[in-house]
Amino acid sequence: MTTTTPPAGIRTPLIPPSTHPYAEVIHRLEAGGSMLPDTPENLQQIIGIYKAYAVPMDFYWRDLLYIAEQVFLNPLPAFKYFISQEYLDRPNSYAGDQSQLRIWRGGEKAHPELLAFMERGETRRMPKLLHHLWHDRVNMEFAEACMRAMLWHQGMGGRFNDYLESEAYRANADRAIKAYFRGNPLMLGLYALFPEMFLEQVRQLSTTANLGLFWEVMAPVFFEMSDLYDEGQLTSVPQAMDFLVNGIFAVAGRPIYHHVFIRGECFEIIPMSEGFTWLYEAALPYVEAVFYRTSPFRGTKSYNAQAGQVPADQADFHYGILYADVFPVGSAGIPPTLLMQDMLHFLPPYLQELYREHRRGEEDQLVQLGITFQRSMYNVTSAVIQALRCALLYPLDDTDPKHLLANRQFFEAQMDRFLRPEARLPDIQSQDYR
Amino acid sequence: MATILETAAAVGCFNTLLAAVDAAGLRGALEGPGPFTVLAPVDEAFAALPPGTLQTLVDNPPQLARILKYHVIAGAHSRAALCAQPEWPSLEGAPIPIRSTDPFEVKNATVVTADVACDNGVVHVINRVILPG
Repeated sequence: MTTTTPPAGIRTPLIPPSTHPYAEVIHRLEAGGSMLPDTPENLQQIIGIYKAYAVPMDFYWRDLLYIAEQVFLNPLPAFKYFISQEYLDRPNSYAGDQSQLRIWRGGEKAHPELLAFMERGETRRMPKLLHHLWHDRVNMEFAEACMRAMLWHQGMGGRFNDYLESEAYRANADRAIKAYFRGNPLMLGLYALFPEMFLEQVRQLSTTANLGLFWEVMAPVFFEMSDLYDEGQLTSVPQAMDFLVNGIFAVAGRPIYHHVFIRGECFEIIPMSEGFTWLYEAALPYVEAVFYRTSPFRGTKSYNAQAGQVPADQADFHYGILYADVFPVGSAGIPPTLLMQDMLHFLPPYLQELYREHRRGEEDQLVQLGITFQRSMYNVTSAVIQALRCALLYPLDDTDPKHLLANRQFFEAQMDRFLRPEARLPDIQSQDYR
Repeated sequence: MATILETAAAVGCFNTLLAAVDAAGLRGALEGPGPFTVLAPVDEAFAALPPGTLQTLVDNPPQLARILKYHVIAGAHSRAALCAQPEWPSLEGAPIPIRSTDPFEVKNATVVTADVACDNGVVHVINRVILPG
């Protein structure tokens, strides 16, 4: 019998290969890769879509904060999407020279492509009200659907939802509600009769602030990735994922709070001193609620809850982008379709060209774009998985087999979530899925 | 004997931790009678965090305090005592798992020096900043 010694430079694996159905993906994650294969086209697709996503996101976060902080409990919020100039000009806390953490180079102002679109839309320059009624505008309904998914699912880690039920929160909300409706006996009378209804509205607005603060960070991150790609500095899918991992850590400690401004006075419904953080109270619940769970929205596909087509347990919901069948989703009024339409307005030329070359060209751009978005969100989810591994487990180059096995179990548990047939993880392994 | 913070200052490899304790406004609490068990990350552990992580926390003292409180357990617990239980409640609220007794590992950090006795508690020196979750 002969024994073979591996040549110098080739390390013998410290743990045996995974036997998981997604073993190939798991080994890629263990090697520092992403769930999305590293190909030049995948990189091009995900960066292009991050850019197209960042532009409407630059509106979403501003308007979400405007709604949470200024519109607040307006009983007829018909103009909540008519963002005030102050909030449109609000400097991004993580971009621009005034930023405390200057690691992304973009400016603090609203993106020029967003401002140009708000001016002209798809049609032509006309009063804001007409753009709104013609629905030629940024689809804030998508942003609010994401917010509602976060509010509805709850129980996804962090302390945010516990706080929404606390006495301290009720007292803070009560002060703000009474101040907001001061001199309005009708609304104060309704509040006295139905306090829980008002409180639930405030909880929704706190979740609106939460999502606004979350996306305020993501917009400059995605712009920066697009700029780096254009400059030739971002050359692989794992690099794109690592950039996101570093971004997640950099802002993990950003406070999540809800302040309301009523006649110039600030009411701290969720004070910064509660210690809520971007990572635990916003990012992780967002990924869980929006990427994985959301809810079965009406579209060309209908679900029969009585027939067990909708899980009884909310944790088993699987209607997020990681599971979506993008084709039937592509119907009017469906939240993901609203986002796709938003992104369509800001596609970089190289993605427009790519879509023209495949499938039905411009005819099914929304579907192709949706699948690109799916690829890009598998990469963002990979970044979240790697960030969690980094925060809670062990380095990928750890030399202790027990640590590597712990990492392995973590990766396998994450991949278990994609074993259900709706998961698109197997599809995105191939470039033919468009 | 000295207090936990005096002991840490004398060792010289906890400069970041001590600066963070000050930034978070926790000095007063940690100089109190306690007793506390502090899992103290060395300077290299903070330096290993990705760029910007610590700065964002230092800019936001309540959030920094939350992360630091995850490194503190009420009561003075020796290595032997800690190893007798699978997890311990931190002052932050989230549990700290004891993953291995030999080598002594607390969550994903390895204890490089255990049982440093102080006036108001015990310090265990760890090689990584631990995070709740």
